[in-house]
Amino acid sequence: MSSLPTLASDLSSPPLAKESPTRLVFQMALRDVSVLFRTPWIIITRSLAFVIQLFVFAYLISGLIHIPGLNFFQYYAVGSVVATIASISFVIGYDIFEEAEEGVLDYLLTLPISRRQFIIGRALGGALRAIIYIIPMFLVVAFIEGFAQPLSIISALLSLFLLAFGVTGMSITVAVSVKSANRFDVVLALLELAVSRGSTALYPIAFMPLYVSIFAPFSPVSFAADSARASLVGFTLDLPAIAGLVAFVVIFLGLGAAFYFRRLEGGIYS
Amino acid sequence: MSTITFDNAGKRFGNLDAVKDFSITIKDGEILGLLGPNGAGKTTLMLMMGTVYRPTSGSISVNGYDVVKHPNEVRKLIGIAFQDPRVDGILSAFDVLNWHLKMTTMFDKVERRRRVEDVLKSLDLWEARKKRTWLMSGGMKKKVEDAKILVQRPSIAVFDEPTAFLDVPSRLLVWKMIRQLRDEGSTVIVATNMMDEAERLSERVAIVNKGKLVASETPERLKGTVKGGEVLELTLNDGSEFKPDSLREFPEVHDVKQQDNKIMVFLNSGTLLLPKIVDTLSSQGFKIESVRLKEVSLEDVFLTYTGQRLE
Repeated sequence: MSSLPTLASDLSSPPLAKESPTRLVFQMALRDVSVLFRTPWIIITRSLAFVIQLFVFAYLISGLIHIPGLNFFQYYAVGSVVATIASISFVIGYDIFEEAEEGVLDYLLTLPISRRQFIIGRALGGALRAIIYIIPMFLVVAFIEGFAQPLSIISALLSLFLLAFGVTGMSITVAVSVKSANRFDVVLALLELAVSRGSTALYPIAFMPLYVSIFAPFSPVSFAADSARASLVGFTLDLPAIAGLVAFVVIFLGLGAAFYFRRLEGGIYS
Repeated sequence: MSTITFDNAGKRFGNLDAVKDFSITIKDGEILGLLGPNGAGKTTLMLMMGTVYRPTSGSISVNGYDVVKHPNEVRKLIGIAFQDPRVDGILSAFDVLNWHLKMTTMFDKVERRRRVEDVLKSLDLWEARKKRTWLMSGGMKKKVEDAKILVQRPSIAVFDEPTAFLDVPSRLLVWKMIRQLRDEGSTVIVATNMMDEAERLSERVAIVNKGKLVASETPERLKGTVKGGEVLELTLNDGSEFKPDSLREFPEVHDVKQQDNKIMVFLNSGTLLLPKIVDTLSSQGFKIESVRLKEVSLEDVFLTYTGQRLE
């Protein structure tokens, strides 16, 4: 045994300094962000797919339909950024479900971070990741549509961030509520379809069938799309839409945390 | 001080008691081996102590902090290396350990790098530090999992099967590093189903079976609780007709256990008694395929207490 290598230096731990409550939240969030940067090709390929969708599908459709007072290409371009960020924000739920199945979640739960900080950190990480993910797409749209007003851009990005934050909370809620992997996939896919397709992101409400138009105004994706368009195109703040987004964030972060505490600590994944 | 107390702790999943009425006090600075077969409840015990699962009965306190009432305080004291490596496959070994230190300590970048480098070099992983962990072999991943606790140096270090998947030199090295951790003042808990690991590493062994604590003592004292001090292992061609009472008639025989064709006789004066036992079994028509006389091991202790083997 004496010939075995040993630690070169003294690693005994000095006492911990006083912990900042926000530091761990950001570390947890940055973990999710760093995973995205480990696979930059995903951002590149998705951005290229977005550009193709915009310049082929949106360009073609906007040539086929003429709505008085509406630039459909512009409408679609902004809306597809919003729909994309909603879609990306759902991914955090898949991550958490996978982590639970693989046991990584058990490890994360042993770290010295409160459950509340953990939930906020994960939702924040998911939201930041989604924002970073759509920035190239947002820039493409801003460039071709000439959106250059800084306050409008900040306001639109704030709406997108709130949407991403709320959707990650919703996704986490589903991840910790559904036990079966197949059921989880189905529920999350249906939910994503419902909030994105049943929204004003890609189609104006006036042209929707009645059964969609009743619900579409209440979709969080509609709140974000309407608010982003109001900022970028109309240079105004759509306060009801922003209030709707804030309510969406509060409700689903709260629900996510509540379900999380109740189900995980009860040993749902054991 | 980092005394850990399980007071009638239990964890129930549906109708299954994974842990039941578990009571033990783990002293500051000791290495406790939790010995039990897979499914005995070892991991559940650790996860309850680590605040991942809430006990459904009883209580657990760490350094005076109740795991349910003060989970945040408890988490600051504990580090757990899991049986199956719990690492983000997309991250490299260096990044896994660096992030672990960011979450568990206040060390600056220089100190984090020093610690990670030191431990990775000791574990012969430095050359592979940039390799994504999902591309690593089982043994390398296991070392990365153990390394999390070795860089962190927590007050309470918990290792679940720390040397599973490791080759012999690596096992010896990890044991040495775990002892070094204890020497620095950490309390160490090692869950294992490997007898030699429990025997060589632990100052005290707690035998866990079906969620219950069966016995808790130093390995030597546990061996001392097995009457006789010697074990005669016999393998019969067919043990279905074997009657243990036929050997219990010898006054030197203290106990007889049977598992299929294998007979374990706990006795004194084994060398003298061996011919008589062989004669007895032969006269009953049994064909003896192998005979082995040995001193009591922890394996025999486990068999005595639980009636089953670990393998």
